[in-house]
Amino acid sequence: MSTVAKYTRFALACWKLNLAGAMEFRLSFFMTAGMMILNNAVWIFFWQIYFHRFHLVNGWQVSDVMMLWAVTSGGFGLANSFFGNADNIGNIIVTGQLDTYLAQPKPVLLHVLISRMSVSALGDLIFALLVFGYFGEHTWLGVIKFTVALLLSMLIFVFFSVCVQSLAFYVGNVEGLIGQELIVTFALYPTDIFRGMTKVFLFTVLPAGFISYMPLGLLRQIQPLFFGAALGVTTLLVFGGTALFYHGLKRYGSGNMTGMRM
Amino acid sequence: MNTLSKNWRFRDKVQKYFSVGCITVRNNFAYLRSFFIRSWFLLVILFIFVQLWRITYQGEGSQVIAGYTYEQMIWYLIFAESIILSSPRLPIKIEEEVKKGDVGYQLTRPMSYLLYHYFSYMGEAYVRLSVNIVLGSSLGLALFGWPHLGFGLLGFLLVSIGSFTVNYLMTMILSLCSFWVEETRGLVFVYNKILFIIGGLMLPLEIFPRYLQTISHWLPFQTVAYFAANAGVHFEWITIGKRLLIQLTWIFFLSFLLRIIYQKGVRKLHVNGG
Repeated sequence: MSTVAKYTRFALACWKLNLAGAMEFRLSFFMTAGMMILNNAVWIFFWQIYFHRFHLVNGWQVSDVMMLWAVTSGGFGLANSFFGNADNIGNIIVTGQLDTYLAQPKPVLLHVLISRMSVSALGDLIFALLVFGYFGEHTWLGVIKFTVALLLSMLIFVFFSVCVQSLAFYVGNVEGLIGQELIVTFALYPTDIFRGMTKVFLFTVLPAGFISYMPLGLLRQIQPLFFGAALGVTTLLVFGGTALFYHGLKRYGSGNMTGMRM
Repeated sequence: MNTLSKNWRFRDKVQKYFSVGCITVRNNFAYLRSFFIRSWFLLVILFIFVQLWRITYQGEGSQVIAGYTYEQMIWYLIFAESIILSSPRLPIKIEEEVKKGDVGYQLTRPMSYLLYHYFSYMGEAYVRLSVNIVLGSSLGLALFGWPHLGFGLLGFLLVSIGSFTVNYLMTMILSLCSFWVEETRGLVFVYNKILFIIGGLMLPLEIFPRYLQTISHWLPFQTVAYFAANAGVHFEWITIGKRLLIQLTWIFFLSFLLRIIYQKGVRKLHVNGG
């Protein structure tokens, strides 16, 4: 069996166990996911009221903002459902929990990322699909573009976190440093409301702009320059984050803590 | 003599609950730095809304939207966000007290459980409010200079007493459901979302469609964020007087409801000792 097929089987097995663990407490599972859907629905209501009164925001229409919410919450949902430990890597490093993963015959980064699932993120994912179902373009091309947008935003969320959290190998505790929460906050608003240095910041240091511009730059109409840049940044984050993690791993010193992967 | 001793007893009671509030304020001053650090998110949200409303006013080509200038709109959001983010997490406290059985100790104290928590709530709320107002105002001052709100801050602080009281009553009613169900987080979450939508947190109610404005006027949620924030940017004695009256009406009604729920809940309570 090829390496990719082996790792895919491993990841699927992990996700299946994560989901089974999350669904052990059914009521809690449905309540958590449901609350997240309701939480996001409040913002849909806000934007509906807003666009009822003001029809355009710098070229953005209500359908674009709905797709913005679908892409951002969907990407965030995918990132934290399937790679839920991305924002937790720093804590795992400084508390010595990495030892458990080092002793196992699987790629460390992949194993760390997939070993946790956020239940509320599943609510985000379901919400994204519901919004696309209601407001999205229901053609084959529309579905493909939406899938690509989700994958790109998922990778940006995951590997931005990997980059930031891997700094724990070098500086120690990175709790409170910029993370997915800040990307999500900025990515949920139309990019064109920002200008000047803020816009530069959102397309460089904090790549929220690449997620929030997808409704215009990919879903409404593929803009080659934006799409190329988004692909480039995503590739950079994936390879850069992975390289930073494994480079930092060479500096990692094991602790005395005994841990278990169950 | 009888009247005199009654007055003394009333004065002692007021002093007792006032002391609870003062102790809470002093306790929370120990966490002032932590409040400032945790409130950075308020600045991020306000910054984003500043950009959104700047584009909106430019797009409309008008200096005034629904009776608000751009400056007034931002100050409205500063006041509204400050009120909501200052509200203490009462449900978590009550739920823990009931689950751990600490509520048994509280009930044996020579003071009303509800009033104790009310004064404690208000003490913490005003410490947090001072932090949020300082932070929010720093953004407002940086953008617009000294605000031309007249007695707006006074109006905001006056109405905020009723805002926090109504919010306390509604949150306490939901929290006391932990006498019957173990987890009240779901109920409180839904309440908070309703407050965001029709409480005027994200948009002044004047921007809502007519039918939603009518619904909001008949519910208590507008008395929490909208009344206080609107008083801050549109200070008028008569309007403030009317709003204080509406808040007082809701306070009477909700207090009566809370009292009934509390009495039923306490009768149902079983505390296991060890």
